[in-house]
Amino acid sequence: MSTSMKRRTFLRGAAGAAVGLPVLECMLNTNGTAYAQAGTAPRRYAIVFAGQSIGGDHWAKNENRIDGRNFTEEGHFIAPAATGRDFVSTTPLTPLDTVREQYSIVSNLRIPYDPNSTDPNNVPPGGAFRDFHGGGCSPLLSGMRSTSGSFRANGISSDQVIANLNANQATIDALVLRAQPSWYLAGSSYAGRQYLSYRAANDRIEAQTSPQIAFTSLFGGFVPEGSEAAARFDFERRARRSVLDLVSSKRQRLLAQVGAADRIRLEQHFDEIRALEQRVAMMPPIDAGACQALEDPGADPAIGGNNAGSGSGDIATNTGYSNEHERTRLMCDLIHMAFVCDLTRVATLQITVFQSHMNVHPITTMMGRPILSDQHEVGHNGDANNRGQLAVSTVLQWHVSHYAYLLERLASTQEGAGTVLDNSAIVFLPEGGHGRQLNDGSTENQTHSTENMVVLVAGRAGGLSPGQHVDGAGAHPAQALISAMQGAGYAGDSLGEVSGNIPELFT
Amino acid sequence: MTSPQATARRRIHYPEGVRALTGLFGLALVVGCKGQVGDPPAQNPPPPPTVSNYVASESVARRLSQAELDATLADLLLDTSGPAVRYLSEDEFSPYDNDYTLQQASMALIDGLEVLAGDVADRLVEDSARRDTVVGCTPENDGDEDCFRAFTRRFLRRAFRRAITDADVEPYVALLPYATEQVEGVDNDFYTAVGLVIRAVLQDPEFLYRIEVGAEEANGARRLNGYEVASRLSYFLWGSMPDDTLLDDAAAGRLDDAAGRRAAAERMLGDARAKRHLYRFHAMWLGYRTIPHGAELAGRFNDETNALIDRVVFEEQRPYSDLFLLQETFVDDMLADHYGLERPADGSGWVAYDEDRAGILSHGAVLAAFSKFTDTSPTQRGIFVRNRLMCDVIDSPPANVDVDQPPEGDPDDCKTERYLAHMGASGCVGCHSQMDPIGFGLERYDIAGQYRTHDDGREECTIEGVGNLPGGATFSGPRELARLLTDSGEIQNCTAQQVFTYAVGRPLKPVEFEAISKLTTSFLEHGRFDTLLLEHIASDAFALRLEPTP
Repeated sequence: MSTSMKRRTFLRGAAGAAVGLPVLECMLNTNGTAYAQAGTAPRRYAIVFAGQSIGGDHWAKNENRIDGRNFTEEGHFIAPAATGRDFVSTTPLTPLDTVREQYSIVSNLRIPYDPNSTDPNNVPPGGAFRDFHGGGCSPLLSGMRSTSGSFRANGISSDQVIANLNANQATIDALVLRAQPSWYLAGSSYAGRQYLSYRAANDRIEAQTSPQIAFTSLFGGFVPEGSEAAARFDFERRARRSVLDLVSSKRQRLLAQVGAADRIRLEQHFDEIRALEQRVAMMPPIDAGACQALEDPGADPAIGGNNAGSGSGDIATNTGYSNEHERTRLMCDLIHMAFVCDLTRVATLQITVFQSHMNVHPITTMMGRPILSDQHEVGHNGDANNRGQLAVSTVLQWHVSHYAYLLERLASTQEGAGTVLDNSAIVFLPEGGHGRQLNDGSTENQTHSTENMVVLVAGRAGGLSPGQHVDGAGAHPAQALISAMQGAGYAGDSLGEVSGNIPELFT
Repeated sequence: MTSPQATARRRIHYPEGVRALTGLFGLALVVGCKGQVGDPPAQNPPPPPTVSNYVASESVARRLSQAELDATLADLLLDTSGPAVRYLSEDEFSPYDNDYTLQQASMALIDGLEVLAGDVADRLVEDSARRDTVVGCTPENDGDEDCFRAFTRRFLRRAFRRAITDADVEPYVALLPYATEQVEGVDNDFYTAVGLVIRAVLQDPEFLYRIEVGAEEANGARRLNGYEVASRLSYFLWGSMPDDTLLDDAAAGRLDDAAGRRAAAERMLGDARAKRHLYRFHAMWLGYRTIPHGAELAGRFNDETNALIDRVVFEEQRPYSDLFLLQETFVDDMLADHYGLERPADGSGWVAYDEDRAGILSHGAVLAAFSKFTDTSPTQRGIFVRNRLMCDVIDSPPANVDVDQPPEGDPDDCKTERYLAHMGASGCVGCHSQMDPIGFGLERYDIAGQYRTHDDGREECTIEGVGNLPGGATFSGPRELARLLTDSGEIQNCTAQQVFTYAVGRPLKPVEFEAISKLTTSFLEHGRFDTLLLEHIASDAFALRLEPTP
């Protein structure tokens, strides 16, 4: 590829905004792999989120109860005993053994709080309001302090910082996905627990919860093989554009009729339609090298009904579960190929929502250790016979297994002299830690804690040096995010009110 | 009896942070008081000014909820497959699903709508019976422009819920060439273009949002046109689009005055859609939209509760207080056995309650809602009564209380003792005394609505089942509680607030309590739910709107 040629070529969309083209053949080397020259590949950033803490109420990190039997055993809490490069993987980390040298774990992280006051005015910078659910959300995602128990970030989230860095470079700036499609509880609602990505304070981005629609959105533009199929595709694509153009053409007339508040609401809707038009208008992506259209996943798994119980024996019935296992797997496939094809450079995958009440019985049965509880109640001893560290770690391990799958896919895809994972910073982020309860500031060994938190960072983008267990020594979890962001090309040294990276991640 | 003054004193502004928490009643959050444990309960703020300020309510373009969109697709295209639930993100329930302040357009929404529109159109085109009904004419050839224009005009009127001009139809004619274009491998015909019209319309903000403009009047309010009123009426009473009769009413100016709106509403209340919608409204309001029981039992609970709503509101048009006071309930053999009631004569029917039970508060559906820790929670039930039946706003709990923990104390103690100990502990009494004593009065009913006299498996733990309302009135069981709440007018007042909240589609604004007070005063006299709806519809404000103040 000529160095004098701009790495990306741009089309002008209908509105004049620059939109990225997919990888062109002229950019490929003779093997069909893109970005043959070192350092030319885009850097990717992703967050994979688990809506749970890492330990259970009143159970120490080595205390377990499985099948009604209590026992003491080390190795189930996520943080390994040893730091450095020779750590032994723990129960939640075992799915990552196949990519052992590709990730680091940072443990002993902590979101600060004022132990002496619940006054929202006394929350320290980057700190948590003294209500665990809600209070931990803003500092974790945005590095901004929370001042209430509401689930809202008070600043831009890390993924959107990176999306802004890469604005208009790929087909979409950020792929925002959520595998858990329903709240599963009666008489209540998400109330903000379903957001991971924020453009700015409280400006949240709705995630796509349907693998089928995400597939269509990302890969619907790939021209099928065969002349008849291509002709059908072209017909359909022209029709699709005519339809969207017709809808868009009403914009000015409709906006002129309505008041100021509605103009803002409807403009946002029309803006999103215009963005879709631009995606459709772009040249169809070319299957080339590692970039191949995925198989259509077909209809989504059915959305399960609400839980038939909350932490009770009633939970065994197959409700409160929408095959998140399959949905997460499909979404990992989508992220992988979207990165490979440079359809996006930033992705968030909220496997489970904050304070998730997904029924964990189906997944833990699959793992051979059935737990009769919903996810949130696992940390609160919902199943009388399965409690403590190993129970919590089992559910955490399920989340990690999907993260591991994504890493494996990225690590097995060549890009230039290395792999796609080499050009990525992929974060695994659990919602909470295990330690002193945030709410009362005193009870030990609590699931509602922002102490002893962990963050996993995988990939080698920007000089990240994976394969380590780093003792965070009380650093803020956002500092691990800052490190990953820097790996993905972020020149700054702060996220919200939190400054500084975890230097060991680069050594 | 609750005076309007007492109504106006009620707190109605959710403080920062509580909005998000209100969705959580019944599971993880005890809603109590702000501040630290030990602080005195918060004082109600001073009453608002007594000068009358209410003219109309603010409104913006409201996007159809998932439920409204699915009901609309069923009426518009005879599509009963529930596409919105399938393709769009789950709505927030706060407790109603139509809070427009929580709606925000997103890529996920737009992508979902495009797929939804394509799927709905494709399935319609493939189903000739449905298709012919929707198209309404038979094309003479694939390029039959007359039939295409006729279909489009009629379809746009129903989909956009307004009068349609030639200029509205014209852009869609540009889609007709897709019916006749010759492309190898493409099997296109007239209905290909019909499908494209449907796809375009289903993605159109005029279809997806209820856009109200209105014409400005001297007092600054804007008067809605007949079609805008028709949409308000149909989504308020049916949760779906206006039918042709209502659109004709709008076109003829019959919805421009109170009498015309009332007449249209009376017709609409006779339609099955009104019943279905009212079932759903009650389920959202009283929190039993979904309950922690298996499908078979939950289904029977729903049948029981819907039968009561039917009988009180529609069939016998009884005083609405009978929803809470009726001494009979509708059961089948299984449910009768479940409750320990006599079996009905013919497999299913109305049977008499025993002494303690009455009305909807005795139903398994309602008693199942607001449970916690797999059992009844006196605190949560107290919150239910205060918040949903008395419309009191209860502040969020002190931050330093972890509400995911059951009350501590000696596990050998009986449940009531544990709750009492908890209430007395380290200053919790200030807040919990406003909630728990209410729940104690319902403790003899478990989360499946079954009667019990002692803790599960512990005969020594007798449940007294006696509770107190704020102010001290003592009661035992659902019947006595319902009597207190209806005699005092609390429920009637709160019902009017709930109806009004649903109608405006967002949290109430202080000035709107004037309108609610008027409705309540009248409701306490006539007592009928249908009349409450009709009086709201006949009020001048129903046909007016205000531009939101920034």
